[in-house]
Amino acid sequence: MFRRGQSTATALLFLAPFLISSAIFFFYAFGRAIYYSFTDFNLFNDPQLIGAQPYAQVLSDPSFRRALANSLVFALVTTTLQTVFALLMAVALNNRLRGMAFFRSAWYMPSITSSVVITLIFLWLFQRRGVANYLVTQWQTYQPLILTFLIGLVVAQIIQVLLERRAGQPAGWFDPALAATSALGAAAVTAALVFLGVTGVREVPPFDYQYFADKWITLGGVQVLSIPLLVIIIQNTFTTVPTLMLFFLAGLQNIPGSLYEAADIDGATPFQKLTNVTVPNLRPVTFYVITVGLIGTMQMFDQVAVIGSAAPQQTIVTLAYYVYTNTFKAGAAPVNMASAAAIILALIILVMVFVQRRFFPSEAR
Amino acid sequence: MKNALCLTLGLTLLASSAAAQTAKTLTINGYGGTDQTLVNDLINRFVKPTMSKEGVTVVYRPLQGDYNQALTTLLAAGTAGDVMYLPAETLDGFVATKKILPLNGVVNTSPFIKTLNSAFTRGGRTYAVAKDFNTLTMVYNRDLFDEAGVAYPTNNETWTSLATKLRQVKQKLGSDYYGTCLTPNFDRFGAFAYATGWQQFGANGRTNLADPRFAEAFNWYTGLAKDKVGVTPSELSAGWGGDCLKGGKVAVVFEGGWIVNFLRDNAPNLKFGTALMPKNNKTGQRGNFLYTVGWAINSGTKNRAAAVKVLNLLTSPQAQQYVLEQGLAIPSRTSLQNSAYFKKTEAGAQNARLVFQGADDGNVRAFTFGAQGPDWAKPINEALAAVLSGQRSAADALKKAQADMTTFQRR
Repeated sequence: MFRRGQSTATALLFLAPFLISSAIFFFYAFGRAIYYSFTDFNLFNDPQLIGAQPYAQVLSDPSFRRALANSLVFALVTTTLQTVFALLMAVALNNRLRGMAFFRSAWYMPSITSSVVITLIFLWLFQRRGVANYLVTQWQTYQPLILTFLIGLVVAQIIQVLLERRAGQPAGWFDPALAATSALGAAAVTAALVFLGVTGVREVPPFDYQYFADKWITLGGVQVLSIPLLVIIIQNTFTTVPTLMLFFLAGLQNIPGSLYEAADIDGATPFQKLTNVTVPNLRPVTFYVITVGLIGTMQMFDQVAVIGSAAPQQTIVTLAYYVYTNTFKAGAAPVNMASAAAIILALIILVMVFVQRRFFPSEAR
Repeated sequence: MKNALCLTLGLTLLASSAAAQTAKTLTINGYGGTDQTLVNDLINRFVKPTMSKEGVTVVYRPLQGDYNQALTTLLAAGTAGDVMYLPAETLDGFVATKKILPLNGVVNTSPFIKTLNSAFTRGGRTYAVAKDFNTLTMVYNRDLFDEAGVAYPTNNETWTSLATKLRQVKQKLGSDYYGTCLTPNFDRFGAFAYATGWQQFGANGRTNLADPRFAEAFNWYTGLAKDKVGVTPSELSAGWGGDCLKGGKVAVVFEGGWIVNFLRDNAPNLKFGTALMPKNNKTGQRGNFLYTVGWAINSGTKNRAAAVKVLNLLTSPQAQQYVLEQGLAIPSRTSLQNSAYFKKTEAGAQNARLVFQGADDGNVRAFTFGAQGPDWAKPINEALAAVLSGQRSAADALKKAQADMTTFQRR
């Protein structure tokens, strides 16, 4: 009995730093936020209980509704994209290839880089005179050459394959050796056409798309997704895929090789092996990846804060950013509204995870 | 021997801690960045000598990053300085905290320019004394006008005559050069709206962007973007007007006295001149902003008497003369209007004189956003950005801005 008491005490002693910090910075803070969400607190007054009024104010605030819509769209699109790409990347990296260690580290780089730095790089890439627009301009400039080359390549490949087949050789449409010859031929034809002046580089005005402007993808007249938010989605997918890939990679190592051998014997294609062996066996990992992805994307804040006034606020505002801007203002601030929004955000995440647990079981079948 | 040494050391420590307890420390909060050196210098010269005689140590604690947010946090936590900067544009939010001491009967505000005092007055109570101020002027690149053979902008320029000059410069110098930089922001555009006689808030406290006077200014301002006579700073990879002028490709920008030190440091060879803001053709008036920051006192200070003394020292005639000569801003004391500095012919002094003259010439308004804070300007900024970048027509943008403004003001 004494020994058991002693071991409990030891366990508590070791857990104390974690328990104390979560009691102060989580349970106490969460309790305060719930309390403030029912008061008229503005950082400077003595809070008085006013019931659910802050919730009504928040729900009727158009900027909150925009933040809610943005957060939900962002969470769904980003989580889907990052899960699919992470799985595909993990499958690709699970092969035994020369130099695999290099690719594994190289692809992991975006995840260990600070998100502020990556956001700044993306801001620069998607500026009005940024790299994205520069590449489009280059594409437009060299389009005649590229198209001539591509058409030449396809035509040469078709001719070569038909000739080979006529000669009784089993040539495939994507035969690499033939493709190399076709490419050489196409390059020669393109060069000749440029020399003759038939085709050439075009003079085009610089492509001038503003990615961080008030532009929206609409569905039936409803603004669904803004272009600035789309840029953030691309960036977020780019930075989170490597981390999630690691989870999938760990999961893949646990799938017995005998299952793939059996599939091979049954004559399954690589796609069938992916959908019928890999995906079902990765279910516990997938559940974890989606849950972490949803929670992370619903709380997205840093990218919006760094982009700040570079894009119109309504195009990128998320729930976490809405909570922040309503808490830190110049002077008295509607902290009660910010708390109410934070509680609503927490409830939404809770419901999302619950629904996922209920309808998408985490155990492998 | 060892014991004696320990005893001496102990006694010295005790004595010094006792001295620290009796000595008062007074903290001043202000901007970081370039202000830090200047204000520290100001405090060392004009505040510390007097206050140290009374046993008060004065410490300047600059707040880096977003000053308003940092000050809010300190005020809420009860750890803000005794004396602090209070920007006029965020006055309403801070007054609502009840942490700013009303200065009526505490400080004599009569030696200061009236319009500046009224910028810090709400409901009959004055909450700060303007430390200095700035207005907008028209700053131009002399070389570009010489090269294009176009006369320099004058103090009698109208919107039309100025636009003609800018177009001529653009035509003569070619596509790499621009007439002006147009910030898609109320903090510059607003001055033109005021020139037409437009009011920021109507009698009902609402803002009317559908007012024909507002539309007139909006159309003139955004109309300059046609044929690239006016460009936004971002199109030239610049952050603001001074940055545009620095590059030597822009003829005119609308900026305040802060541009002088910037050009001195970043484009020492650029020959610039200053003229007053252009007049609206119909009203014959100029429009302008009074940008100002005041000194305020924390209502929770434990050293009120010392804080008042420090505030008076910071705004004393000597301190203000020093601020003027540093070329950072224009002092707020009426008596300094005849300062010899204003009469100098050097470009910086000439700019200072015109910034000063701009304070009461035409329709001049304090730069504020009203009780709802800086979010008020968003619909206007978005409309300007949309039209200047060619995404919307002016009429369309104004319609949307008015709808957004109505929603915002209903909150």
